[in-house]
Amino acid sequence: MTEEQVKILLEELKADLQSAESSAAITKLWHKYFSDTGSFKLLIKKIKDLPIEEKKTTALIIQQAYKEAQELFSEKEKSVKGGEMSGSIKSQSEDINPTLSKIGHLHPISKTIREMNELFVSMGFSIMDGPEIETDEFCFQRLNVPADHPARDMQDTIYIKEPDFLLRTQTSSIEAQVLAKYKPPFKIVCPGRSYRNESVNKSNHFVFHQYQGVVVAEKANMKDLFGTFQVLFKKMYGEDVVTRYRNKYYPEVEPGVGPDMQCFNCHGKGCPLCKNVGWIEMGGAGIIHPNVMKMAGLDNKKWIGFAFGLGLDRWVMAKYKITDIRTLLGGNLGYKYYENESII
Amino acid sequence: MKVLYSQIKELIPGLKATPKEIGEALTLTGFMMDGFTEISYKGKKDYLLSLEIRQNRADCLSVIGIAQEVAAYYNLKTIIPTVKPITKNNKKIDIKIEATKEVKRVLAIKIDEIKNTESPQWLKEYMTLYGLNSAGLLVDLSNYVMMLTGYPSHLIDFKKTEGTIRWTINNNFNEVTTLLGSTTKLNNDEIIIRDDNNILALAGIIGGKTDSIDTDTTSIIAEIAIYDRSIIRKNSRSLSITTEASRRLEKDLDPNGANYAMEMLVSLILKYAQGKIVSSLFNYYPKKYVSPKIQFNKELPSKLAGIEISPKDTLRILKGLNFKIISKNNKLTVIPPTYRMDVVLPEDLAEEVIRIYGYNRIPTNEIPKLEVVKNITPKNIILSEKIRDILTVLGFDETLSWPLTQEGINAEAKYSDLNEITTQNSVNELFPNLRQSMTTGLLNQMNEYFKKGIEHIDIFEIGRVFGEKNNKYLEHDSLGILSATKNNALPQFKDKIESLLRLIGFENVKYFESKSKPKISNPESCWDIFVNNQNIGIIYKLAPSETKLNIYLTEIDVEKITKILTSIDNNPVVELTQKLIPLDVNIELNEKESIFEYLDNLEKKINKKNIWSINITDIYQMKGKKRYTLRVTYEELSDKEAKEIHLKTFGLNNI
Repeated sequence: MTEEQVKILLEELKADLQSAESSAAITKLWHKYFSDTGSFKLLIKKIKDLPIEEKKTTALIIQQAYKEAQELFSEKEKSVKGGEMSGSIKSQSEDINPTLSKIGHLHPISKTIREMNELFVSMGFSIMDGPEIETDEFCFQRLNVPADHPARDMQDTIYIKEPDFLLRTQTSSIEAQVLAKYKPPFKIVCPGRSYRNESVNKSNHFVFHQYQGVVVAEKANMKDLFGTFQVLFKKMYGEDVVTRYRNKYYPEVEPGVGPDMQCFNCHGKGCPLCKNVGWIEMGGAGIIHPNVMKMAGLDNKKWIGFAFGLGLDRWVMAKYKITDIRTLLGGNLGYKYYENESII
Repeated sequence: MKVLYSQIKELIPGLKATPKEIGEALTLTGFMMDGFTEISYKGKKDYLLSLEIRQNRADCLSVIGIAQEVAAYYNLKTIIPTVKPITKNNKKIDIKIEATKEVKRVLAIKIDEIKNTESPQWLKEYMTLYGLNSAGLLVDLSNYVMMLTGYPSHLIDFKKTEGTIRWTINNNFNEVTTLLGSTTKLNNDEIIIRDDNNILALAGIIGGKTDSIDTDTTSIIAEIAIYDRSIIRKNSRSLSITTEASRRLEKDLDPNGANYAMEMLVSLILKYAQGKIVSSLFNYYPKKYVSPKIQFNKELPSKLAGIEISPKDTLRILKGLNFKIISKNNKLTVIPPTYRMDVVLPEDLAEEVIRIYGYNRIPTNEIPKLEVVKNITPKNIILSEKIRDILTVLGFDETLSWPLTQEGINAEAKYSDLNEITTQNSVNELFPNLRQSMTTGLLNQMNEYFKKGIEHIDIFEIGRVFGEKNNKYLEHDSLGILSATKNNALPQFKDKIESLLRLIGFENVKYFESKSKPKISNPESCWDIFVNNQNIGIIYKLAPSETKLNIYLTEIDVEKITKILTSIDNNPVVELTQKLIPLDVNIELNEKESIFEYLDNLEKKINKKNIWSINITDIYQMKGKKRYTLRVTYEELSDKEAKEIHLKTFGLNNI
């Protein structure tokens, strides 16, 4: 191996590099010169076979040439790949679409139910539902509303087969189902649909949504019930919510409770929304009537419970500024592309 | 129920509270004030409070009843106006009570020489305040007594009657003309008051035209009757007539209090209409109502309220409500006044104590101390929530729709063998049937969106569907999903449905030509969806419609998939130690052979333990058949092992 041969090899590389214009050509050259069988790699390998007297000088020449070859190669590689990259950056570039994409939304009723469920689940409640086609027994009789009871006038019933089969008029029927089927203690909430025989117009619908809660335990009282309500109202309407609890008749509870919220529109002064009384009725509640417990076969001396039922539609309408109740179940409910709801 | 502030004050001399305060007190104790008006009565400023009486408290449909509530709340005494007892007379009236089951009590008396004039000004004003038209002195006095005492009375013009007056069940009058002049058809099962020839009144509801009072009336029979409340409610509802009388008699009105009301009515008629009593007081009262004796634990109000209510307060409140208390051997027996027919249980007494003590004295700011209990939430509820999350992430909006449908709609959309359920009495008669499929609601919503120019329609709904089979009413939660686009997009739609199914835990989703295709579907594009060899729903393209949109629908039985899901144990996690090995194979199927079935059989044949995925990478249409290129990707095998399995599975010699 002479110095001349090394020089020739280096010149050959330079010529090859000069004509290499693509990554593929560069890779080919790498194989030709620097792979295990490449010319320069072989040169390096040969050093160990040189006679002792040549080893010092020739090795140095070879190593210098190898270093120079590597530098030339990587310089060229950089320039070829860099050029190619800037070309493909341009050709493969994409513009971002500046308009908003479509996202999916939950219905406001589902969203409200979910918020309430989250709160009650955090308090150890389970979520339940029951049949929408109910029997007179579970919709009325087991809730202390026997046949011909005046309380039935409060709820015009849609019958499937009078008098026994009907569409549930209240989610309290789920309470009756759970009391009959599950052993206490339990804490449940039941969001669900109820039906009443009403003509559909801007403010009434034959189908509406209720939120029922039932607790049966060895110890439960009105203070617990009020505390539960207060936690709920604060979550839904903020820390400053003003509430009152008054005596209210429902056949399935004794004592009965009517929870009211100060009108958020007029702050108690009286306006059309609250029919000038300053308060909005939120539903009904109370300690479960001993007759209801008895009909479910529960020992009244051991178990006690409270129950509550809230109408959801008006809450949702107020919250989402919907003025026509039909919108909740009809074609007029749309979801805007441009406004989202915060998840926290 | 309306009450005048001045009348309350008159009945409770010690009362200092303002009209508003009284309204608030009544609201808290169970009679919500839903109206408050400043008015003028007898030339003075006064206030009219309007109250909601929901409970079985006929006594509180009277001014005296409300005054007793106010007095109890403020711990004051009510002074009930005294009236003269009815003077004795031995002449009997010809009355018979035939409806002995329905009539609890009848009081009646004959008064002659009456001058039925115009009412005095104060009485006319009073009627107007209560929303009643002044109808002459006698009728106005009858109404006045009703407002004050809660007892409706009925005045019969005696000269217009013929023979015996009877309380009986109607069996031969087909209609009645009421004193208001309107004619009502009868069902022949009403309780009525009649004479030998005519119907005199729908008992407890409204008087008849035949015997009605007019300016020439000089001789009357005044009657106050109490009935079994259920018959009054039944009659009032079936005849669609609600009156001030029926509202009171539909509740439990104390028969014992009728005497006082009759004495007041008679004394007022004698005073203002100058009549003379000409009969003895007819008094039918076979079974005197006696209040129950209730054993009562003084601790019960505290236990129910969750706060300390002292026995002293408890007793004070009960006494203030005119309950009689007998204490013997440290045990309490409480006897309600007879007008409190709603109080029969210890819990009823406890409610009385707590409501007068004040619900506003129960703290609201304490965290409820409730027991820790087992979670019993059914899995389908959890699953439905998860489905909502996934579908919204996949870009679908949730809608809710009517569960009742129009005639004929179910037949178009259903795909089950259940019979349709029809409601019997829906006022929305155009929508009589319970839905059998979620798709109708989704299509309605889509049409509304389409009309409004919304183009991008991806919607879903989870709701109840209904059907009848073997005389059983069945219902389950169903998920409906709809996508409408201008372009063909079934594969994309299917991918989304499959993403949903796989994200909720199914690894094995298959499609077979549907066995029961909805009429609205394109029969060439309709498949049943199977997971774990069970049909869970349907996916199809809608038959072409006017909208020119491509509409894709799917419906999945949520309860069914919940059941299947709870029975499988999924684990999608693997430790990947070797690279995946994709190997291709071409298969040819003739037109009658289904690729779905081929893949199903293939999955049965191979050991899925080493399969990462199977995809169709190419479909080539040939004469009378199709060639599919399948790419089977193997995991955790060496190249050699994968190749061996591949060759064996597909019966190939070499690749």
